[in-house]
Amino acid sequence: MAERNVDSWLEAAARRLASTTSRRGFLARMGTALFGAASLPLLPVARAGAESPREAGPDESKLQGAAGDPTNCEYWRYCAIDGFLSACCGGTHSSCPPGTEMSRVTWIGTCRHPVDGKDYIISYNDCCGTSFCGRCICNRNEGDRPVYLAGRSNDINWCMGTSTAAYSSTVAIVLGVATES
Amino acid sequence: MRRCLAFLRSVATLALVASCASVPAARAAEPLGQVRTLPAQPGPHWVWVSDILLKRAALIDADGGSFLGMLPGGGSGILAPQRSRDGREFYQAETYYARGTRGERTDIVSITDALTLQPKGEVVIPPKRCEHTSWVAGSALSDDGRFFAVFNMNPATSLSIVDVAERRFVAEIDTPGCSLVYAAGTRRFLSLCANGTALVVTLDERGREASKAHTEIWFDPKADPVTEKAARRGDQWFFVSFEGVVHPVDVSGPALRFAEPWSLLSDADRKESWRVGGMQQLALHAATGRLYALMHQGGVDTHKAPGTKVFVYDVDKRERVERIDLRNPTASFVLERIAMPPGGAIDWLLQRALPNHGVERIAVTQDDAPVLVAATAFPATLAVYDARSGAYLRDVSEVGIATSYVAAP
Repeated sequence: MAERNVDSWLEAAARRLASTTSRRGFLARMGTALFGAASLPLLPVARAGAESPREAGPDESKLQGAAGDPTNCEYWRYCAIDGFLSACCGGTHSSCPPGTEMSRVTWIGTCRHPVDGKDYIISYNDCCGTSFCGRCICNRNEGDRPVYLAGRSNDINWCMGTSTAAYSSTVAIVLGVATES
Repeated sequence: MRRCLAFLRSVATLALVASCASVPAARAAEPLGQVRTLPAQPGPHWVWVSDILLKRAALIDADGGSFLGMLPGGGSGILAPQRSRDGREFYQAETYYARGTRGERTDIVSITDALTLQPKGEVVIPPKRCEHTSWVAGSALSDDGRFFAVFNMNPATSLSIVDVAERRFVAEIDTPGCSLVYAAGTRRFLSLCANGTALVVTLDERGREASKAHTEIWFDPKADPVTEKAARRGDQWFFVSFEGVVHPVDVSGPALRFAEPWSLLSDADRKESWRVGGMQQLALHAATGRLYALMHQGGVDTHKAPGTKVFVYDVDKRERVERIDLRNPTASFVLERIAMPPGGAIDWLLQRALPNHGVERIAVTQDDAPVLVAATAFPATLAVYDARSGAYLRDVSEVGIATSYVAAP
């Protein structure tokens, strides 16, 4: 359904990443050399950086029950989450706990908002730098893909681009509406 | 009177002899500083069971359930010690931070003596090793045993190649668009690619990149991707897709060959919503060609759901030969906590009354009387089955806190 759109979005995100991170030279060279040649998503990863223009999140005031509870695995944004919920660990569903650092690259999911019925692209950012939180472990796999389709794989420790890769917990940030293209 | 005294003397003598007999013989003092080593010949049913919270891999004898020893893993909780071809050492990729969870990062391939489990050496590799939950195909030893490859992601993908004979890092080989690593020949590895091909990397005598080429497209990554969780029998790799389609890959020749795919599922199975799932969902007994697949009943997106049964296949005939019922891990855990033996009325009740979250990982030993081990992370359990008959044999108690990777070395 939203797959084409997600793929286009991923490609755009990958290109943004390749041209803006500190590994700029290497990634840009590799991307230029190989993106076109092999038609492979070389860096199929998302990025929820501040420089990315983003849409406002949906209204969550009318959500009821578990689908509206960020400390519950059934919270609507968690359809492809794998890890400890930041909201149970001193953070919120969209902010990391104190003492951690939010990952710069992420995996994404496409979750349906139970009230407005729209599909939203969700960025699952890992919170990094401390030990495992150990609370509210959740694993949902809607749209999850194997590790070689990395941008949609929740099995990977996505603490990359952070000062350490020590995993603590995970947030779920709405990036925008997944519209048909 | 004299007779009476003689009797008393005899009784006293007997009592003295009896009391002397009960005095322990002089024994040598117990020596200090003794540390055991493992037997030179590994047991046929030894298995590695790693623990993501304890951050160690435990070597366990599935026969008696005894705990033989362990390998630590630094900051990494999911560990897959790989035995050298001569059986003398284990290799393992590990990540460390100078201050535990912060400070300078160092990634290594550790080399451990297989008898003492003491470190024999280490090779520092680029600090970009990928960590992923299943840990299947995170590293691989070349078929000649010379080179150990570690899969990197930062998020660009590559392989770090270590010469385990010379104990040195040789090369980093980029694998753009492709991930994971599987041994695929003497000095050859394959990775799975996002476009449905495999990337085949061949090393030269020194371990550097000799060639790197994509195969033809052999699976559909969008419609029905193959999982990472493959099983190997000699020159054949068996990859299974989300929908239960087996893709055999032959790595014997100069070019990889792809046999006709076949399905684990009959129409009746599909009607009953059987699917393959779990974090380590395939195991293969090479001598008999028996493929063990962890199965559950579920819909789309349940490709990692734990299993309640193992379906057993003959990979030569491509047909199912058996279904093994797996015990409820939660019930087994509770049974152990309350010190009740399996098989009784309490067991029967718990098996049915407690929620069954299923088994996440399976592995099979490679001897003539193989066992199938079935592991679950929460609660941490390890059940042992006769791999030929499917009969439940035992649970291993106190296997850890959060069982992650299992492997029969």
